[in-house]
Amino acid sequence: MKLSISRYDPERDKAPHLQDYDIELIATDHMLLDVLLRLKAQDSTLSFRKSCREGVCGSDAMNINGRNGLACITRTRDLREPVVIRPLPGFPIIRDLFVDMTQFFKQYRSITPYLVNDKPPPERERLQSPAERDKLNGAYECILCGCCSSQCPSYWWNPDKFVGPAGLIQAYRFIFDSRDRATERRLDDLDNDPYRLFRCRTIMNCAEVCPKGLEPVHAIERIRLKIAGVTEAAAGLDVHPPISPT
Amino acid sequence: MQRVSAVYLLLFVLFLLFSSWLRPIRTFAEWHAWVAGPGTSIAFVVFFAALLGHMWVGLRDVLLDYAKPASLRRSLLAAVALSLLGLGMWILRILFRIQG
Amino acid sequence: MPVGALTSIGHRISGVVLAASVPLAVYLFGLSLRDARGFAQVVGVFGGFAFKAAAVLVVWALAHHMLGGARHMLSDFDVGSPLRAARRSAWLVNLAGLCVALLAAVLVW
Repeated sequence: MKLSISRYDPERDKAPHLQDYDIELIATDHMLLDVLLRLKAQDSTLSFRKSCREGVCGSDAMNINGRNGLACITRTRDLREPVVIRPLPGFPIIRDLFVDMTQFFKQYRSITPYLVNDKPPPERERLQSPAERDKLNGAYECILCGCCSSQCPSYWWNPDKFVGPAGLIQAYRFIFDSRDRATERRLDDLDNDPYRLFRCRTIMNCAEVCPKGLEPVHAIERIRLKIAGVTEAAAGLDVHPPISPT
Repeated sequence: MQRVSAVYLLLFVLFLLFSSWLRPIRTFAEWHAWVAGPGTSIAFVVFFAALLGHMWVGLRDVLLDYAKPASLRRSLLAAVALSLLGLGMWILRILFRIQG
Repeated sequence: MPVGALTSIGHRISGVVLAASVPLAVYLFGLSLRDARGFAQVVGVFGGFAFKAAAVLVVWALAHHMLGGARHMLSDFDVGSPLRAARRSAWLVNLAGLCVALLAAVLVW
């Protein structure tokens, strides 16, 4: 398999550049991560994040043939060659495929990503009906891999001001949680500023690339409707079969 | 505001297309009479108001996205706002004048 | 680039094109209502080649902007929101805009 991988050593290179690799595929090279790990065995300077190797930690998010995805669940046989691998677009590059996720997580923390309920805790747990729990479907599954925000043009233009699809789908997850008591404050936080939520132009790149098939764009729509006081949908968010890079 | 104006603009454009197809206007007299008519002139005033409002929301969005730093953005937004107001006054003058 | 992204950037570009054409349109509108000669001048301007080309561009801009806008408003009401449906409507908008422009080009020549 032929690959072109973006390399960047801040101590030696002025800018990232593509380096070509050619490797004989073996029977166990099902996913791109398998190939990358064998490449690293040959060239130990090649750097990338990885952990669970099963699509749940989000560490190996990268831009594969122009489309963000997780290397560990991207099938090698679907990929057009040469496979061009770049780090997540728009994020500062630390080295090779390592990107700086500081800004991304700052936006996440800014939406108060934890339940706020000052009432004294009950004997066992704060109760929630199955219907209320269903509203969180399509949002709680987010693994914060960064594929969505990194493919969002609105996030590229204003990563410090626009919260981004990942942050906003998490905001949705708490705004629509029946056990949370800070709903007004959460909505105000997103409503008072023309940037935090409203930079979303429904471009829908986020839904296109989410490796878990989530649709942050619709979470954002629902938050908008809730701000406008329109009655909200009863069910959770749509989830579609994820579209892997090819 | 953007949505409401959008609906009116869409309907107006369709109305324009439809009426120009049904009854083509050839001469100045026909044109002048049609625009100056009681119903159509009001429709035109509302159309231009909606258009300017719609333009403002759209252009503001583009500037918010791309214009940095803040002071440049503020001055550009002010420039756009003033231009739209100027356009509005020009349009009112045109529509008033034809009432004779 | 995903198809929805094309629709979206087209929506923005067409918006800017339309906004830029408004001052000229207002001028022509005013001129055409001034007197018979003004009207004739405006009709004459529409005959020039450069003008026809610009007119086709503006027609595309109007069509794409209106169709894209309609798509946006429908999704506000949860119509065609899921990704598959949104992709199809994006294709439709892109194609329809180009078709209208093509039609305009044919009519104009």
